[in-house]
Amino acid sequence: MATRERRELSDVSDRSVVALAESALTKYPAVAGRIAIAAVGGYGRGELSPGSDLDLLVLHDGTIATEILSEFINAFLYPLWNGGRAIDHSVRTRNETRAAAGTDIRVAQGLLDIRFLWGSEALVLTVATDALDDWRKNFKRLWPQVLASISERRERSGELAFLLEPDLKEARGGLRDINTLRAIAKSDAVPVALERLATAESLLINVRDCLHQVSGRHRDQLLFTEQDKVASALKFSDADALLLEVAKSARSVDYVMALTVHRIENSDQGFFARRRKPVLVSKGLYQVNEEIAIASEYELVADPGLGLRAAATAAQRGLPLSIESCIRLADEFVDLPTPWPRQSREDLVALIGAGAFMVNVWEALDQSGLIEKWIPEWGHVRFLPQRNALHRHTVDRHMLETAVRATNLIRQVHRPDLLLVAALFHDLGKGFGDLDHSEYGETLIAPLAIRMGFSESDAQTLAVLVRHHLLLSSVATRRDLDDPLTISYVLSHVDSAETLELLHALSIADGEATGRTAWSGWKAGLVADLVSRCLAAMSGIAPAPQLELTADQIVRSEQGILSLEIAEHEGNYEIEIIAPDQVGLLSAVAGVLSISRFDVRSARTRTLGNSAVMKWIVNLDANSQPPESEALQEILQRALTGEIDLTHRIEERINNYRKRPGIPVAPPVVSVIYDIATSATVLEVRMHDRPGILYTVARAVSRFGVDIRAAIVATLGAEAFDTIYVTDLQGQALTAERAVLLANQIENILLTH
Amino acid sequence: MKLITAIIKPFKLDDVKSALQAFGITGMTVSEASGFGRQRGHTEVYRGAEYTVDLVPKVRLEVLIEGSDVDAVIDVIVKAASTGSIGDGKVWSTPVDNVVRVRTGERGVDAI
Repeated sequence: MATRERRELSDVSDRSVVALAESALTKYPAVAGRIAIAAVGGYGRGELSPGSDLDLLVLHDGTIATEILSEFINAFLYPLWNGGRAIDHSVRTRNETRAAAGTDIRVAQGLLDIRFLWGSEALVLTVATDALDDWRKNFKRLWPQVLASISERRERSGELAFLLEPDLKEARGGLRDINTLRAIAKSDAVPVALERLATAESLLINVRDCLHQVSGRHRDQLLFTEQDKVASALKFSDADALLLEVAKSARSVDYVMALTVHRIENSDQGFFARRRKPVLVSKGLYQVNEEIAIASEYELVADPGLGLRAAATAAQRGLPLSIESCIRLADEFVDLPTPWPRQSREDLVALIGAGAFMVNVWEALDQSGLIEKWIPEWGHVRFLPQRNALHRHTVDRHMLETAVRATNLIRQVHRPDLLLVAALFHDLGKGFGDLDHSEYGETLIAPLAIRMGFSESDAQTLAVLVRHHLLLSSVATRRDLDDPLTISYVLSHVDSAETLELLHALSIADGEATGRTAWSGWKAGLVADLVSRCLAAMSGIAPAPQLELTADQIVRSEQGILSLEIAEHEGNYEIEIIAPDQVGLLSAVAGVLSISRFDVRSARTRTLGNSAVMKWIVNLDANSQPPESEALQEILQRALTGEIDLTHRIEERINNYRKRPGIPVAPPVVSVIYDIATSATVLEVRMHDRPGILYTVARAVSRFGVDIRAAIVATLGAEAFDTIYVTDLQGQALTAERAVLLANQIENILLTH
Repeated sequence: MKLITAIIKPFKLDDVKSALQAFGITGMTVSEASGFGRQRGHTEVYRGAEYTVDLVPKVRLEVLIEGSDVDAVIDVIVKAASTGSIGDGKVWSTPVDNVVRVRTGERGVDAI
């Protein structure tokens, strides 16, 4: 049904309402001149769909006796009801109407479209004037209600663009949002880009009307069973093409909505202003008005990594990335070099690792077209529907949901970064006709990973994860777990315990994101059983290897003199320190680097004879000056002799860090791993990155009365993964009981400090 | 009329399903179940920590048939579900008083 037909239907209804009112008037002539009938809502705009209610407002001046009034109304409404039309009517005086509109935003919004049908035109005109005046005057007071109803609808009905069986009216980006935007436009609070909605609105209304016609029911949810019929009635090639157009329309509505809400919340009229002083949070990035924005004077050309850094910073703080910044990043787009620099790759991982907070930031980037510019493979899965009863979401949103679930599992794997990236791209191969999506996905992810700057072996692992993301669930439910052949079948595809661990976590995240029909406690139990049987058949997980020393380093370590050198390294700094070994050396060095405002990205340290050799890769935070070796060496010297109170200053830094907004993160995990290849006990510390982790851990270890032989620190996005080799003071591995006690103690300290 | 209930190992579901289809059984109900019999739970050791799996995942399959087929159908299921090892499951039959097909209101054998 087209707009013209909806107008005709509205005209026909107008004529029958007027005729019925006239005939009721002949029975009750006393009401003449004191009553009026008006259309409100969609009917008020003069467009009526076959399934819509007839929204009527009966206005009276309050002087008609109640009995006569109700008899008149019955006389005019009964024939309409009997005609089969659903009617939504209210009977009010001018004052009652104002009062209702003042408390109920749906009444207030409906009145903005009021249209005279019959009776006293003056009565309708005054109410129309009131409605618009009050709406403008009260908009500031009503805005929280409007906003609450927008987000409540989103909670309840989800997002039109990403659901496979969406509600065309109530879902985010649907028809109700368009009406809300039109009402906001009438408030004159901010400009609303209504012209961007015209195409979307007519498509959504056409689909909705057609749905009503083919289903014979007035429900707005576009179910699988109706999609083919609607698609063919509207001459789409198939249901997927229909859903793709619906998704596009919903996205443009959603975009206008986000922009409008943002403008209102940050309106310059001092209207809703709660401006605070901008705070510099990273090079070129400010936190201002509860969002992350790019400094206007900052040169984008010189910093291709800025976009991902801005996204990671926003997501990790649980804040949105400003719309203006996204638009600017897209307009003045500077592509990342190939392969991506390490920092950009880590920013991507930190962005994904923010879990639920990533989704909004990702959406903002995607709407500005940035995701497709960085990752062209994403373009194919954008809003891609999947005709599959197990799934609820389009392919792109399913992958985001999987990544969100994966953030709950990062403590269970050795490479949280690979888990997050695999989760976000595991279905990248979907939607290429008959090609198996896992197989095709494997061919897409490997080159993508290399472009992102992952090593060949990491890219290989990602390829295995994408290729076999359904392997564990299908084997666990279809093959005999007691049969050794089943285990060797899995091992023939997944060759290392690290990869199996990742694959297990990916299966859980994928299953949970798909929905209850695809993943249950029952299935999870079978998969866990399969994984533990496979792990038992594997050689176990080897800890991160210790630093290999060069001949030169060995010579210098034998001299036992403190030396410190700083070199630039891929935009970061590499610091090499050789120092005479002493109790608490590692914590002192970690502490000095921390109070000098370095963030440790990775480190390898090893004790050899009487000296320790350390290699640190650090970056400098936004407010600091580049380091000087002499100055740093002097601070270190003073820290080692106890002249500087490191604890106090680090606590201060940790407390400052705590003050800034953050997202909820999984608690730290410290585990003992048994590795026969070394005479030391190996501890693994996994936690969300923050300043001073290594300092805190190293201090706890020294206080426990054991020696640190080596430490390997890795930062993967926003996650820290530290491996520490310890021995007792005689150089022997700890007993199992002591090792577990130490691990628990470190875990407690990290939780409370 | 009889209701045949079978508790089998999950990976045997496809085999049992096709064996029943080959026998001419056209409808069945399948649900995810967990429990234990003589198999009990078993103890696993994973990265040094010991944990007990006390409920073993199984599949529960239910088939409604006319009385005369009972033994044959049970045989079909047992044959298809058997691996010879512990935990293969159980099959039993129970008498059914009445059956109604919801759509048509047919009763008794007609509703099967």
